[in-house]
Parts: sequence; structure tokens; C-alpha cells
Amino acid sequence: MSVKYIPVQWNRSKWVYDALMLIAVTLFLYVFLFVSPEVLSHEAPINPQVHNARAFGACAFLMLTVILCIGPLARIDRRFLPLLYNRRHFGVMTAFVAITHAGYILNWYFAFSNSDKYEALLFANTSYGQLAGFPFEAFGIFALICLLILAATSHDFWMKFLTPPVWKRIHASIYLAYVAVVAHVSLGILQDQQNHVFTVIFIGGALTVAGLHAYAAWQEDRRGDELGADQDGWIDICDASEIEEGLAKIKILPNGERVAVFRHEGKLNAISNACAHQNGPLGEGRIIDCLVTCPWHGFQYDVRNGRSPAPFTEKIPTYNLRIENGHVQVHRDANPPGTPVEPVEVPA
Amino acid sequence: MNTAEFLLMVVKWWGAIGALVALVFLTVGMDRIDEDADGAYVFRPLLIPGILLIWPLVLWRWYCLAFETDHWAHRYKPRRHNHRIFAYVMPIAIVLVIAAGLSVRQQWPAHIAPEQLSAPEASQ
Amino acid sequence: MSRKDEPFFVGYLPLPAGLKGFTLFISLAVFVLFFGAGLLIGATQDAPEDTGFRFDFGRQTVTGVVELTPYPILRVTEGNDRIAPGKTMMLTAAGKSGVDMRAMGLEGQLAQISGIVLERGTIDMMQLRGGRNGISPVEGNAPAMEIEPLGRWKLAGEICDGKCLYGAMRPGRGLAHKACANLCITGDVPPVFVSTQPVEGQEFMLITGPEATRMPQEAYDFVGQFVTLEGDIERRGDLLVLQIDPATIALVDE
Repeated sequence: MSVKYIPVQWNRSKWVYDALMLIAVTLFLYVFLFVSPEVLSHEAPINPQVHNARAFGACAFLMLTVILCIGPLARIDRRFLPLLYNRRHFGVMTAFVAITHAGYILNWYFAFSNSDKYEALLFANTSYGQLAGFPFEAFGIFALICLLILAATSHDFWMKFLTPPVWKRIHASIYLAYVAVVAHVSLGILQDQQNHVFTVIFIGGALTVAGLHAYAAWQEDRRGDELGADQDGWIDICDASEIEEGLAKIKILPNGERVAVFRHEGKLNAISNACAHQNGPLGEGRIIDCLVTCPWHGFQYDVRNGRSPAPFTEKIPTYNLRIENGHVQVHRDANPPGTPVEPVEVPA
Repeated sequence: MNTAEFLLMVVKWWGAIGALVALVFLTVGMDRIDEDADGAYVFRPLLIPGILLIWPLVLWRWYCLAFETDHWAHRYKPRRHNHRIFAYVMPIAIVLVIAAGLSVRQQWPAHIAPEQLSAPEASQ
Repeated sequence: MSRKDEPFFVGYLPLPAGLKGFTLFISLAVFVLFFGAGLLIGATQDAPEDTGFRFDFGRQTVTGVVELTPYPILRVTEGNDRIAPGKTMMLTAAGKSGVDMRAMGLEGQLAQISGIVLERGTIDMMQLRGGRNGISPVEGNAPAMEIEPLGRWKLAGEICDGKCLYGAMRPGRGLAHKACANLCITGDVPPVFVSTQPVEGQEFMLITGPEATRMPQEAYDFVGQFVTLEGDIERRGDLLVLQIDPATIALVDE
């Protein structure tokens, strides 16, 4: 929330989230780095640099896979929303793990030659015209750049500065990055690995991400928010009695935007469904202490004027609303953010 | 100059310009466009990597905010619609990429024996 | 269940009672996932082949005749207890570079080499010390060395960089290692062909281009892949030298 930026706005949930995440990552790396060599007991062990690179690479892949599952899972089952809450820290951590992987590779496979290692990374393999033997490093570099941009622009400042839609678009490059990572692995280690445990885990993880996204999108197509019918500039939402106290109904307006009509203390108000923070779906939130609370990060707004309570300064657009024959209707043009609108009483 | 050197030079210049943008933006630019940054300094170094990476976007947004060219409604247009495209295209891409990778995977051709095509005398 | 009765999570408020069990379950599931994946992936890494630098042998010094294939080799005439006369050694410098410049003036002459050997079954390669400590001319007349042509062959196998193949890196071949192999070969580390089955008792052979040139550019696209190719083979001591015909390189089709 706004009011003077600080590096990280910690709270108990974030501490716990980060602690759990760190434990998971540490478990993975510890087991991979220190337990598995004992289990393997190879006659001639894998070079430590390669073993480390594999550990961090596999860890980054797993982290990215888990991160990308959170979004669709939270849409399929809202109980997963706590995982979404601090996903940004998870992403930043992934960028660090990925860069460690890249460092081990760069300082091993591309070092020790007469050329600069960064140059070597770019010129050593130029077989771009073939699938097998393709310089799969290029996919890794692309994914790493995406991860770095995402991590570097994760502070709330960026969201406000770039605007949430632009910020979200930039952060949607995570999907491209994930496909690039899949290509990086498919054309890289997957070509060499003889033991197929990794192959199975890798394909299983990637297909889980693919399946969950397709399923969540398909479900939203079937059961998602509906387009409201337009009657001379007023959009039909629903019967006034259908809106539960403290909750909202969401409808899509003809221009593609979404409106959320909340019922609070028996009165109705319409606000934009997009939270000012990350454009989270306010209509899927609820009213807590007289304030609409976003289900993603808990940003709050007064439903009557779309303003965050002082000292916060966020504002969202409001909509004019009327009841015609028991039907709630919202005017299709939004009021500028923070415009007060008189609540409309639900007819008895 | 080869391609690799050229690319690295581009990266260096990109970073150098980014550093310049970061310096000016974080010291004087930011306070004028975001009241929440007023008196907040500790978080600013955190923004440096981001500015180095996407400084053209920073300049564009800086311009928009400084000259107030933004329309308020643009902030409230979630990219939900194009998310749907990602949600369908990404799974297809993942399956295709994995299939492509598996299809070119080779097995060590241990069954192919060396074959002498011609004796030394003939080849000399 | 009405949406109103669903527990509603707000990050800065305590976790709702209805979500505690689920969140705990998910946390444990994540731990199990990371632990299990780390163990499974970590413990099923392929074993690299038993190769490597033999630092334990200490520095080896032998004398022999330098030949340029063009990749420099040494036909050992005066060995030691590990490297017998008659042996042929491929030569490399430290890192991903060859010793071409240092060997250039010494073709057909007696020279002493000194360095650390790389072993893959047999000792076939030496990483020389720097400068003249690594290779230096020796007084005396170089004996004539026999080169026995073995004819033209069609082989299946993999093009590798000799140094990593011989254990400078473990693993040191395959497609994940391709860029590194290319880097070594461009740096004049001798390229080596691994044949699926031995030719005249040898599984590995030094690669050159046609007419004693360096490995041709076309071959780089095939490094690390399983290919068939044709070429003339000659025997120099216990080392086979394969002059590949770049036009015949083809991927093995399953």
C-alpha cells in the first residue's frame, strides 16, 4: 500500500511464507548437493561445478513450475490464495537460483579459453539451423533476462509507476520464459540424460503447468464473469436480491471492463472490479470493517467513493447505479477514481 | 568486430545509459512524479537493477507522468483478456517443445560396426 | 456453501481458522515435493565415464618426435615407467587451448614434453606445462617414424573435443556439453572421434580434416551428436588418425 515506500513491507504472513519457501529450497539444494553424491558414489564423480549447476538449474525449474501453478490453482480453488499473496518473493528467489545456475555454467563450460567467457557463450555454438545441437543456452539466457526483469521490477513502486496493466503485461513474460526454460531443458540435458527419472519429473512438471493453465482458462470460459446486457447506456447486472450482504456481483461491461456491485448494510454500490494495486478482482473479495478488501493482497476501499482509508491514497473508479423493477443496473461509463456515489437502498 | 562482441557492446551501452537514467531519475526525477517517494530513500537502490534493464520504458513512463498524458481509466484495464491467450497458447507451446526435444533425441548407435570401404592401396 | 462462509485470507490479518489445516497441508506437500525432487533428480545422475587428470602420477616427462597432423602429437622414443616408447601422445595446453604455436617449428624433430597426463583407459593425452617447460627441442637425430595407412572407413560415433573426452570435464561429451566442446576445438584442442566399435583395436581416433587440415567448419554442427561419416584412417604408433570427409557426415537415423 502506498504512503512512503520502504524496501519490503513485511508482515507475519510474508515472514512465514518466505521462511517456508527458504526451507523448501534449502531442502532441495542440500539433498541434491550433499546427500545425492553419497547415494550415487560414482567411481569418477561428476565435476562439482557441473553438479552444482545441475542442482541450481533443477531447483530453478522446480521453483518456476510451482510458481506458475499457483495462479491457476488459486482460480480453480480459492483456498490457494495464500500462496499467491507473496508470490513475488518466490519469484525473486527463483531469479537468484537461476543466476547461480548460469554462473556455474559460465565459469565452467565457457571459461578457461582464450576468449572472454561472455563472448564465448555467444559464439561457441552457432548451430541455429538445427534442433538437436541447437544452442539451447540462448533459451536459458532469454529466460534469465525475463526473470531478472521480473525480479527487478517487483517492488510496488513499479506497479504504480508503470500502471498495473503495463506491469502485468511485462510480468506476463514469465510465460514466455517458462516455455524458453522448457526448450532449454528439452534441447539440453534431456538429449544426454540416460537415467529417465529427471525426464519424467521434468515432463510431469511442465505438463502440470500446461494442464492447470488450460483447465483454469477453460473453466473461466464456461463459468467466468458474464457480459451484462446494455439498455440505453445502463447495464443490467442481476436481481437486487441476488447480491449477498458483504459480497459482490461482477459483470463485464460492453467496453470489456468489469464492474463489481457490492451490498453493504443493505445498500448497493458499484466500483471497478480492478484493484488499483495489481488490478486484482475486487468483486471476488468481500467487505471487511466496512471496506472492500481485495482477495489478492488485501488492499481496501470504501465502497461508496472508491478511496482507500487514510493514510492510504489509492483510488478506484466508481459507477452510477440504479434499480429498475428490482433489477440492478450500472451506468456503463465509469466515474473518475474516488468519485463518491450515493448508495442505493435494496428494495424490501 | 564479430557478432558476439557487437552484442556485448550493445549490452554495455544499454547498461551505461541505464545507469545514467537511474542516477537522474532516482535523485531528482522521482520526487516530482510520485508523492509516495517523498522522503523515502532507503528503497531507491532497489530500483537500480530495474532501471538498468528497462530504462526506455522508464523514460516513457517518466514522460507520461511528468506531462500528465495518462488517462486515469488506463490504470484500471486488467490484462485479463490477453491472459486467456497465454493460458491456451503456453500449454500448446510446452507440449510442442517437449515433443520436438524428444523427437530429435538420439540413441548411441552401438549396433553400427565400422566398415572398411577400401583398402589402403586403393585409396593411395 | 455460500461464498460468505468460505474462509477469506487477508495477508496482514491472522490466517482464518478454516484455512489453517489446508495451508499446513500445502506447506508440507511443498516440502515433500522439494525434498523428493532433489533426492530423485540428484541421486539419478548418470555416472560419468571413469576418466580424468592423473595428478596422482605427478609430472611426466618423455621425449619423442613431434608430428603435426596438423594437431601436434608426440611419437615417444624415450619413455618412462608409465609411458612406454612407441606410445603416441596427443598434446594440449592448459585450459581450452592447444600447443600448435609451440609445436609448429618442431615438426619431425626430437622434443621433450612435460606435463600432466589425462587417462581414459589408456594414457593418450598430455597437458603440457607452460612455455618451453612444456615442450622444447632435444639435440639429436629424429628417427624416421612409420605412418601406416589403413584405408577408407565408414564409422558411426561422436565427434568430441579430446581433452574433455579424456576427463578434463566429467561429463565431457554429449549435446549439453556441445558449446564447450566447440570452444575447445576452436582453441586447437585436438578433436577426437569416438567410434561405436573399435577399429583395429582403437575406439578413439584423432580427427583431422582432409589433406591434413584442421577439423572442417561443417563438422562443428555435428559435435556431440551421433553421426556416421567416412574418412581415411592411418596409424601413427598406437594412435589412429582419421581424416574425415566432411561431405559424408550424417546424423544417425534410428
